[in-house]
Formats: sequence, structure tokens, C-alpha cells
Amino acid sequence: MLEPTSTSLQQTLIDTTDANVIVIEASRVAPRIPFAEIYRQRELLGLFIRRQLATRYRQMALGIAWMLLEPLAQLLLISVVFGMLLRVESNGYPYTVYAFAGLTPWWLFSRTVLAVAGCLQDNLPLISKVYFPRLLLVLAAAAREYVDGLVAFVLLLITAASFGFLPSVKLLLAPLVMVLVSLTGVSIGLWFAAVMVRFRDVRPALGVALQAGMYATPILYAATLVPPTLREFYQLNPMLWAVEIFRWLLLDAPLVLTRSLPLALALVAVTLISGLLVFSTQEQVTVDVQ
Amino acid sequence: MSSSDYAISVRNLGKRYLMPHRRGRGWRAHLREFFPAFAEQREDDYFCALCDLDLDVKRGEILGDIGHNGSGKSTLLKLLSRVTLPTPGRALLRGRVGSLLEVGTGFHPDLTGRENVFMAGALLGLPQREIRARFAAIVDFSGVEQFIDMPVKRYSSGMYVRLAYAVASTLESDILILDEVLAVGDAAFREKSQANIEKVAHDGRTVLLVSHNPRAVTSICQRAIVLDGGRCVFQGTAEAAVALYLRNLHGLEQSTTPTTDNNGFQNLTSDKKRVTDAQSVLRWVSLHQAEGIRTTQFCTGDTMIVRIGYAGTNVRWPYFAVFLLNDFAERVATFQSTHAGEIGAIAHAGVVECFVPQLLLGEGAYWLMSDFGEYHGGTLATCLDCVGNAINFRITLNGYVGGVGVSSYQGRVQRTRWQATATVLPMAIESPAPPSSRDADVKPQ
Repeated sequence: MLEPTSTSLQQTLIDTTDANVIVIEASRVAPRIPFAEIYRQRELLGLFIRRQLATRYRQMALGIAWMLLEPLAQLLLISVVFGMLLRVESNGYPYTVYAFAGLTPWWLFSRTVLAVAGCLQDNLPLISKVYFPRLLLVLAAAAREYVDGLVAFVLLLITAASFGFLPSVKLLLAPLVMVLVSLTGVSIGLWFAAVMVRFRDVRPALGVALQAGMYATPILYAATLVPPTLREFYQLNPMLWAVEIFRWLLLDAPLVLTRSLPLALALVAVTLISGLLVFSTQEQVTVDVQ
Repeated sequence: MSSSDYAISVRNLGKRYLMPHRRGRGWRAHLREFFPAFAEQREDDYFCALCDLDLDVKRGEILGDIGHNGSGKSTLLKLLSRVTLPTPGRALLRGRVGSLLEVGTGFHPDLTGRENVFMAGALLGLPQREIRARFAAIVDFSGVEQFIDMPVKRYSSGMYVRLAYAVASTLESDILILDEVLAVGDAAFREKSQANIEKVAHDGRTVLLVSHNPRAVTSICQRAIVLDGGRCVFQGTAEAAVALYLRNLHGLEQSTTPTTDNNGFQNLTSDKKRVTDAQSVLRWVSLHQAEGIRTTQFCTGDTMIVRIGYAGTNVRWPYFAVFLLNDFAERVATFQSTHAGEIGAIAHAGVVECFVPQLLLGEGAYWLMSDFGEYHGGTLATCLDCVGNAINFRITLNGYVGGVGVSSYQGRVQRTRWQATATVLPMAIESPAPPSSRDADVKPQ
């Protein structure tokens, strides 16, 4: 790349100290996160979210009912295969509720990862024609999945109640846990969003990796099945904690906090911050490498 | 001049792209494409879409940006609207920038017209309450009020484009960046949008307009730049820019005005650019006045004789043609030997003469294009040799007509007769009878 030769630049006719002046320069190595601009464009963010929610179920005969039908159908399949046919260990809880309590945060996580990772590529026609902070697309994708997650959560509450697990005050923590799950998904998605535009390989690879991640997390089985020697590493998975906390919230399943929990949280924080930096440097060249 | 008079100031602006497949195709190029950081890059691996542009645009100015496909004009707009970042250089823009690189950006086919108006408006930087306040005006401008609550995928392409443009037309940004948007809609809508752009500039806002339509550029813009191969080859008045652009397009000479120092004779065998790469049959061309004197200076209404020397042809039934082009490279006259009945069989070499009794063209410099080929009868012919800029000449009005409307390049000049009567006549549209039957207001004397 040619470095901008600032010394040889002639004087421009516009005073750069003016606050109204937009400066367009060769991309700097330093990432730039335009918080002020994102705040200014919050209306656009709201419209993005509304648009994504509004278009998802357009021209479907059952419309918004799919928001409920999809998770219920999956849950039914899983309970029949793993609960009734394979009889997977669920620590004495009804398998359907036990699996659902694990699936709800996992769905939120995996869908957020895919939505955030794909947000630049899915919106290429838009970002190659108009400028706005690209992080808005990330936020919109995450918000949309969060709304879907909340719907699944309400379904989970109803399912649990029908099995006799009535809601308690602890449940007020659930939306917060879901925010953490969402951030975990965003942190990984950010890392891949810009890469995916150049390497289309990422999308299928990510699908496989998430499938593997689902089996590496005690969603369809109980964590107690994992040998104790491996458990410390096993517990570094932030999603394990999300699942365990969800089961504690809903089914009052015992929750043993170990030192792996703060490590897992630190892992999420590091991934999120580095992901933001990677995204904000890479998104500047997205249009050129598409 | 104080710095606040300028809206856009650009220095050394450029955009380079890596072209990994310029050298070879195999795995090395693949490596260069996907891992540019690890592969060695040479200077010729890069393609310069825009090089080293310096540009200053005053506030309230409408600047045209013209050039052939791939000349870098859209790259410039993309850089200025921050869709992509420059490689070297910098650009400063004062105030809010609204850019319209495509009509209908942000439109989602499944959403209704109403929903899309808000979405597209927000993408252009309009606050929601402003859109709400102007919603009626937007819908009115677009003329789709009946269908505003229908998904836009069911719109006709004209309705779609009109609605999209209507949103953009309400933009109140200080700098407006438009790419080819005038090319949409029917003539009436184009006129409407052109008036809108003029109003925008009249309000002291700055417009940067890319267009392939030379007429639009000359009528809207005061100044224009011409880009060619990523470089700015001209900055100046819109008329001069368009003239240069059109001459390039038609393969005419690069000079800004046709030179007339050829004494009325031009040898065509030397380095004259040929439109066809066929054999060179046309050898020379000369221009003469009625008395046969060779010249390049004519007056309106004069007789012009074009002599064309040719050689080396075996065509039995030929045609010769002379086209006159104005400074904008627009053809203004066509003289074909087949108009009146073809020339008979011709010799292997010789001279043909085209006699123009009256040159009814306005003042200005003109190009003569010479064409030769085989005539098959009817409207069928095969071109065998054609020289785009065979010779140039100048026409002076010389009082052929007087009064106003006699400036250069106004088209055909003809003496007409006018007569007014004191009688109040019924309106022409109310009287379908031919004017001759009721002592018309215009009558040949």
C-alpha cells in the first residue's frame, strides 16, 4: 500500500479545525469506533431492527406464529430422539424441560454468532452504496436475535410451568443472563464478520463449529457425564455456565460455581474487545475486498 | 478568498486496487488474492482507479463529473461519500453530506412504500420527524399515493424509482452527491428532478453530479471535470468539458477546438485515425468555394464543394458520404451520394465531388467525416473506409440572419418569413380546418 505522503500534501482550502468538516483520509492502522456517530444514528438502528423483524415473517401464511412453531418443533424432535428413544441422562428432571432450558440460551448464542458474522456480507449492497457506522448492523443483528430469544424464553417458562416448575423471583435474572449470552455471541461474530466477506469459507465452517460447540456444551445431556479430570477445561466454555445458570433459574438445579466461571467471563471480555478492534479496522476495507 | 467559500477540497486523492491476476493465474495469484500480506507485491499488481486528484468546489456550485466507463468517476463519488477509503490523499467536506450513488438504496422489496420511505430517509441521514413532516410532499412528488401501503416489490420499476428519488429530493444536506440519477424515469420526471437539483444549488448547497448525459451536464452544471483512466484530464466550464468528452468519445482530435490551418486540403493517407480498420481507399479531401477556390472559411448560405480523392478500390457500385459534425461531435448534416441516385461504376482511382448548394449551418467550427463503401441498393451498404476527422472548417454567420439567437452551435440557420395580422383568430387548437382555407397567419409570400 502507498503510504499517504503527508509532507508533500498541498494545503487544502478548507480549515480542518472546523467541527463541521468531514476529513476523508487513507485508512489508518488504528481502529476507530465511532461511538458518537452511533449515538447520533440511533434512529437508524431502530429502523434496522424493526426492518429485520418485520421482513423475517413477511409473506408467510402463519406469519409471526413461526416464531413459536420453530423452537417447539425442534424441541419435540429432540425430546423424542434423545429423551424417549436414546434416554439420555438428565439428572432426574423431565428431559423436555431439561433440554429446553439448555437450548434456549444456546439458540440465542448460535443465532447471534451467525447473524453478526454474516451482517456485513448480507448487507453488501447497502454498505457499498451508503455510509453509516457499520457497527449499527452488528447491533441490529444482535438485537433481532435477542427478541427471538425472549420469545423462546417465554415458551420455556410455559413449558416448565406445565411440567410443574413454577416461576420464581430468580427468573428476573434471566434477561441479564441472556444479555451476557448475546454478548458472547457478538464477540465471536465480530471476529468473523469482516473475514467472511473475503473468505466465504467462513460461513459453512462456522456452521460446523457451532454444531460441535453444541455437543461440547451440556445441552442435550447433563454436565455430570463429563469425566471429572476434564471438567476444569470443560467449564471454561462460557456457554456451559449460561446453560447451568438457566437450569438453576428454572428447575432449581444445583449450581456449583468454580474458578472457571471468572475465567470464562474474562475470556468473553477479551474476545469482545479484540473482536471490536478487529471489526472496526477490517470493516473499512470491506467494500474493496468483497 | 476565505476558506468558508469552499465546500469540497481534495488533494492527491487516489484509490488503488490490488489485481492479483495480472501476473499469472496459478496458485501464486490465488495466494496473492487471499493473503496479500504474505505475498510479494510489485508495482504492476496494482490498478489505479483514481490517481492524484486535486479538486476544489465552491459552495453552491454544481460540478459535473464526466468520463467514459472505468474512468474513475464513480470511484471519486464513492470516496467522497465514505463508502470506501482512499489509498493516498485526503478530502475535506464541509457540512452534511447526502449521497445518492444508486436510486433505491435501502429499499427492501418486502416492505411497503411507507416503510421504505422512512428507511431510505434514515439511510440518507434524515431524522424521522423530518421525514414524517415531509411525508405528504414526498408521496406527492413521487405520484404513488395509491400504492403507498403496498410492498415495493409489486411496484412497477417507474413507481419504484420515482418513490426512491422523491425521498432523496427532500435531502437538505449541504453537499449532495449524485450518480447517474437523472437517467431514471420518463422525460417529465427527469425534468422535475433536474429542476429540483437546480433549486438545491440555488439554495447555496453544493452538488457533485456524475452523468453520461452530456446535455444534462451542460444544462445543469457550471463547471465540470473530465476523468480518463483515473486521471483528471480537464477542469473548466461544463461546455468545454462536454465538448472534450464527446470528441474523445468519437475519436476526434484532442485539441479543444478544431484547427483550420489546413488550407482546405487534407491528406488522409498519413496518421489519420480511421473508424474502420479496413483498407485506406480515401486518400485526400479538399474543400472549395463555389468558384473552386480552396478554403476552410465559409459563410452561412455559401456553396461548399467537397472533393474526395480515392484510390485502390475494385468496388463496382460504391457510395460516398460526407457528414458534418459540430464541436460537440454531434452530427448536424448527412450528405450521401445515394440520396439522389448512386454514382455509377467508378474507376480504380479518381476524384469524387460533392456539391452543397447552400450551407445552412450556424456559426462555429465543424468537423467533416468522410465515408466510403459498397452500395447494395435500397438501404443496404457496407462501409469499407471511414475517416472520422477528415478535415475541419469554420462557418461564419456573416449577417445571413440577424437579431437575437445567432450565437454559436444553435443548429440549422434558415431565412424565414414572418407576418402578423391584426385580425383576432380563433385558437389553432379550436380550428381543425387547414390554415390555408381561412387566410392563415403564416403564409408564404
